[in-house]
Amino acid sequence: MGDSMPSFRQNKKTIFMLVFPGFALFLFAVLFPIGLSIYYALTDWSGIGSLNFIGLENFKHAFQDRIFWKSIKNAATLALLTVTIQHPIAFLFALLLDRIGGKVEKMFKTIFFIPCVISIMVTSKMWVSIYNAQYGLLNKVLTLLQLGFLKQQWLGDPGIVLYSLILIMMWQGFGWAVLIYYAGVKSLPEDVFEASRIDGANRLQTLFYITIPLLQPVIAVNVIWAIISSLKQMETIYLTTNGGPGNASQFLANYLYIKAFDAYEFGYGNAISVLFVVVCLITTVVLNKFFKKDFY
Amino acid sequence: MRFSSKSLVFLLALTLILSAGNSFKVAGANKVTIKFFSNLPDRTAGQGRLEQLLIENYMKANPHVEVKVEALQDEPYKQKFRVYTAGNQLPDLFMVWGQPAFFDPIMKGGYAAELNRNDYKDYGFFPGSLDGFSMNGKLYGLARNTDLMVLYYNEKLFKDNGIQVPTDYDQLVTAVKAFRKLGITPIAQNGRDSWVLNILYQDLVIKESGDQSLIYKAIDQKEKFAYHKHLLAAAQDLEELVKIGIFQDSFIAADYGAARNLFGQEMAAMFYMGSWETGLAVDENFSASFRNNVSVVAFPGMKGQGKGRTTDMMGWFGGGYAVSSSSPVKEEAIKLINYIMAPENWAKNAWQLGLVIPGQKYDQFMTGNENKLQLQISKILNKATSFSGTPWNDAATPGFKVDSQTIIQEFAAGMKDPAKFLEACDQAARKAKQ
Repeated sequence: MGDSMPSFRQNKKTIFMLVFPGFALFLFAVLFPIGLSIYYALTDWSGIGSLNFIGLENFKHAFQDRIFWKSIKNAATLALLTVTIQHPIAFLFALLLDRIGGKVEKMFKTIFFIPCVISIMVTSKMWVSIYNAQYGLLNKVLTLLQLGFLKQQWLGDPGIVLYSLILIMMWQGFGWAVLIYYAGVKSLPEDVFEASRIDGANRLQTLFYITIPLLQPVIAVNVIWAIISSLKQMETIYLTTNGGPGNASQFLANYLYIKAFDAYEFGYGNAISVLFVVVCLITTVVLNKFFKKDFY
Repeated sequence: MRFSSKSLVFLLALTLILSAGNSFKVAGANKVTIKFFSNLPDRTAGQGRLEQLLIENYMKANPHVEVKVEALQDEPYKQKFRVYTAGNQLPDLFMVWGQPAFFDPIMKGGYAAELNRNDYKDYGFFPGSLDGFSMNGKLYGLARNTDLMVLYYNEKLFKDNGIQVPTDYDQLVTAVKAFRKLGITPIAQNGRDSWVLNILYQDLVIKESGDQSLIYKAIDQKEKFAYHKHLLAAAQDLEELVKIGIFQDSFIAADYGAARNLFGQEMAAMFYMGSWETGLAVDENFSASFRNNVSVVAFPGMKGQGKGRTTDMMGWFGGGYAVSSSSPVKEEAIKLINYIMAPENWAKNAWQLGLVIPGQKYDQFMTGNENKLQLQISKILNKATSFSGTPWNDAATPGFKVDSQTIIQEFAAGMKDPAKFLEACDQAARKAKQ
């Protein structure tokens, strides 16, 4: 006992030494800013001068703010379309890549990943040019293909601007989605597939009864990541439409930025950011539960 | 090579003595460092070059002063300015927009140092130019330029197509329709920035009512936007202009550079923009054909009793400088601002280099070498019978600025009709008054 006390104490010290840097970083980089954000969310601070405590007024205001809800709806649309359109295509391409093999596989893997390594600033501005109504590539190609009737004001029409932006964001994130599915497919054990072939399973049966169930952890991670990314979307919006026309393509992160830094409603901007964190947390918990219940 | 311990000690001692000597020298000369925060990041061309040149000249004349410049583009500038203000760490001398949405909270919060009005009685500031930089009779900043909204146009496109340059509103509508028929964009517009749409709406209000104060009364809710005869008429005008295709397709998504390029590449006949664009006539990025053909007129007025004339203009004094009230080198910073804004420095050079229309009298600096646009705008300015003052989106709170710019963008994009637009303006104005 006497011998174990110092070593226990020493252990405590070691544990503290090892945990402290990480904990301190978490405290100052995550918890402290969130705490500060909650504090400011309860005030009417403009960012300049004095502040007054106004209780939950900012939160009440957020619930009545149609742009707040519009931003959430836009994020939900993005998440839904990402999961239902981008992901099945990415999954298919991951499977195809795996089948092709050799140099072509490597080449396509690189090609798919190129948009992910180019700065969002560059790709966003490139898409703004592609969508340009006068000299943009998209309308020019449509005219060339005798499909002039399909020409649109891609970023100027409030009815379609959101979908134009969603296409950009899907394109930007496509490489990541493919890469994660591809890594998953590559890690599957070959013997299971061999056994299924011996049992006489065809390709579709192998896909639905072996590949997809085995890939469920990867699918779960990829889907959760896609949904959370949809909620957090900011850069592409800021660089293309800034949420316009009006607020037709507004997203939460961009909206809170406008409120805090353009409208000088720092308190309200913080209230939105707190709600933003809450929405992200709830979504993560719900998705985790959903995937655990259904697949593991 | 090896050092003996003696020579090492000697070297160390020598270093200490030299560094001590150096610090004595600095302390003896009373070296002053002024932090200068600017919105002109290009220090090699345009207004940024002039600002840098004046700072360097000042440092030469005052060797004890060192000026450290930090410069960012307008939007990042505003963000960082805000961060500095929130931390009460504003640089010693900084650029400000003399408009209530930007400068009022700074003056009210006591962040800007008071300047002595008497120091500037020989500076030749235009009447009213310092209003946006003053509060309760006290002066807190100095205006750099005069901003006037005008209609740049391409002479060749008008001439080749037999279209008359508009001198009244009806002619503008005729010209717009004619250009549209020919597949040429009538006016290049940066609708993504939305403030130009706010300014155009105010211009139409002035032309419909002949009353420069009407829109400010509405912001103050002494008049209602909905459904004041003239405010409604101006909204209907704007709606009609958009319908007949006054701007390029998808103008709502176009930013400043895109609209400017459209005009510079002779794909648009006109460009509704401020007097700060006199440099278009000498911009090497555009063709010689464009540079020779670019010209400017005032935005056309309306015919009829009680209507605004072409000489009732959108004009205001925008950017300028102020000094931080908490600056440890306040007196030195005020000396620097006084030097930069001395008429023979900013006004003379800004005019003679063809950069902007100064906020001070510049007749005495005319050389005869001015570019065409400078002279034309100067004439327009001299003929003007009334000026608007701060554009309405900048005339109240920062929140009103965001709201009014969003509302006008929604309206121009067809998401709101004139009645809904006016109701939304009232709502924003009421919110700003709370």
